[in-house]
Amino acid sequence: MLRVENLTFAHPGQATPYAFSLVAHEGEVTAVSGASGSGKSTLLDLLAGFLTPSAGSIELDHSDLLPLPPEARPVSLLLQSESLFEHLSAAKNVALGLPAGTPRAEAQRQIGEALAEVGLEGIGNQLASTLSGGQKQRVALARTLLRARPVLLLDEPFSALDDETRVAVRELVRVLTIRHGWHTILVSHHADDVEALAARKYLLVEGRLESLRDTPS
Amino acid sequence: MLTLPHRPLRIAAAIALAAGIAILIVLVLWAILAAATGSEGSASRIDIPHLLRMTSIQAGLTTVLSIAVGMALAWALNRLRFPGRDLVVGLFASAIVTPGMVVAFGLLSIWGRNGWINQASEALFGFSIGNPAFGLSGILFAHVVLDGAFAARIMLARLDAIPTPRLKTGQSLGLTPWQRFAIIDWPSLRGTVPGLAAIIFLLAFTSFPIVLMLGGGPANQTLEVAIYAAVRQDFDLAGAVRLAATQIAVCSLVILAASALAPIPTSFGASTAPRWRDRGLARLLQMLVLMLCTIGFVLPLLSVLIDGLGAGIGRVVAQPAFWWATTSSLVIGTASALLTLLLALALALGRGATGNGLLRTLLGMPAFAYLAVPAVVLSLGFFLLVRQLGFAPATAAPFVVILANSLLALPFAMATLGPPLEAIARSRGKLIRSLGLSGWRQFTLVEYPLLGRDIGVMLALAFCFSLGDLGVIALFGTQDFQTLPLMMFRALGSYRGNDAAAIAAILLVGTIVAFVGLPRLFERIADAAR
Repeated sequence: MLRVENLTFAHPGQATPYAFSLVAHEGEVTAVSGASGSGKSTLLDLLAGFLTPSAGSIELDHSDLLPLPPEARPVSLLLQSESLFEHLSAAKNVALGLPAGTPRAEAQRQIGEALAEVGLEGIGNQLASTLSGGQKQRVALARTLLRARPVLLLDEPFSALDDETRVAVRELVRVLTIRHGWHTILVSHHADDVEALAARKYLLVEGRLESLRDTPS
Repeated sequence: MLTLPHRPLRIAAAIALAAGIAILIVLVLWAILAAATGSEGSASRIDIPHLLRMTSIQAGLTTVLSIAVGMALAWALNRLRFPGRDLVVGLFASAIVTPGMVVAFGLLSIWGRNGWINQASEALFGFSIGNPAFGLSGILFAHVVLDGAFAARIMLARLDAIPTPRLKTGQSLGLTPWQRFAIIDWPSLRGTVPGLAAIIFLLAFTSFPIVLMLGGGPANQTLEVAIYAAVRQDFDLAGAVRLAATQIAVCSLVILAASALAPIPTSFGASTAPRWRDRGLARLLQMLVLMLCTIGFVLPLLSVLIDGLGAGIGRVVAQPAFWWATTSSLVIGTASALLTLLLALALALGRGATGNGLLRTLLGMPAFAYLAVPAVVLSLGFFLLVRQLGFAPATAAPFVVILANSLLALPFAMATLGPPLEAIARSRGKLIRSLGLSGWRQFTLVEYPLLGRDIGVMLALAFCFSLGDLGVIALFGTQDFQTLPLMMFRALGSYRGNDAAAIAAILLVGTIVAFVGLPRLFERIADAAR
């Protein structure tokens, strides 16, 4: 279980600091919604380690994550854009999820399997810049599979997608979260994304997270 | 583009100005060619192939070294955070306006036969390291100090502009420092390198004061210096004209190549990138690079200030000639900066008002063509033109120097004002059109308040270029009409080293004050207009 307690942070000049508390369970999507500027991205930056809180704690199965730098946190990120390096092929982007020194043949096998799991067999050699928005998010999810980090942070990941692709990628996130036991935290201001995916919902109001209702799957 | 407000006056004014500037180029080239034709058969012994080879070698080496040093320095500055970082970044940014002769003088103070290093070496170890500040090594060192710092500032702007989400993704993936450079940094930098290399090659190819001061003899002479020598020392006008034609031809080729490459921004925004420090060996390497580059850039400038602001300054400021030269420098600098602003603003506003690609190219081309005409060549052209029109060069000198300096700064001014003006036209064109703002109100309410800092940057660039100019004034200067750089050059020529040091220090202080102060001043004025 990922437990965030009273995680406090203020940007320069911010009068009232944010204070976040939430719980996210394995195999579930926890959604955080709120108005623009309410602090949704700040929460994700704190969880990913890009910002340092002034107080509070983040624990995953009772293990303290706060001392860990971003690259060492058990966290994968999926953003609205820039989740992939556009000048690299899809396979090379996915390969960044593998530990350094993975033998070439083994790496190719794992990359192939990961791409297959997200429904993108055979596109490994394509440049990321030539992929559609939905394909890009699927490739980023394939990389997440290889990284095998238990927490997945999603920052408005479906915003740039058309309706049909959005539903498909959303469904993929739901399936992968359950299958791999991820603690997925979704930040979104789209009510339909939240309704479709979230087992737990929080609303950010004036820098505080309010639990809307718990509907464990 | 339908969204652009209809501004026929702006377009007409820009067309008229661009035509005027183009006619001026044609007249200058005609004057040079006419002089060449009229002087056929004169026994000039200038070895153009040797000069071309020498100029190309030093410009090529300067380009490679400056890009390498600039990239390493940008990499280090992008990663390291320390107190005074903004000051260090600002210092490197000022390289573009630091007068070449001041840097050359600083290098002589440090590395020259009687420089700091030799004095220390003789006192401590009893031997001298010779005179590495003279000859090709000195020229390259001075060029890399200036152009490497310039390249670093441009590349740092690119690194600072890398989108934050991309950095977050990379950091979250735990990329190693090498992976980070290869996957995130290099793709952002590589688009800059060809354009930057072309600009640096051009700057080095046309470099005048540094080669003049540090060349150390005919073996290292370049085309630019040879033109000056042909006119002022050998009175070989035919030879000068042949050299000028060669210089223009080569520069035009480089410009043509450069125009196809990415444009180089000259003003910079603040970085909003998250903190992502490299660790271990990479971090040590970054600190080493920063330390070496700072010493390499700052030490010569520091020596200029220490040597120049000492006891010798009293003797210099007591000379009436110093005050005449200072007044001339300030008046010429101010007038040419204002003229540059007027020209660049009119041309950039006209370009921003039209969506016609051909017209936009035609409006920009004459201004950028002055990159292909180096200062000494332009000066020679004006010199010949003035004589052919029947004026005495001495009478026309102040006006010609102002105009020439302004035209030489114009490409940089256009590069500074053009992109933000076009961005304003694109992003706010619909709103301006829907509100029915007049052209004047568009300028005073929208463009001017948003352009404040850029106008300051542009004025600072033009003023500093003019303040440090030796290429134009070298041909037009007389005993009665001289600027600070010319006075400094003459002091060096007559072995008055202390006088030269004092003038170099004053030039350096003036340049830094203008470069730092003008953008801030205009930012405040524009803020007050919001």
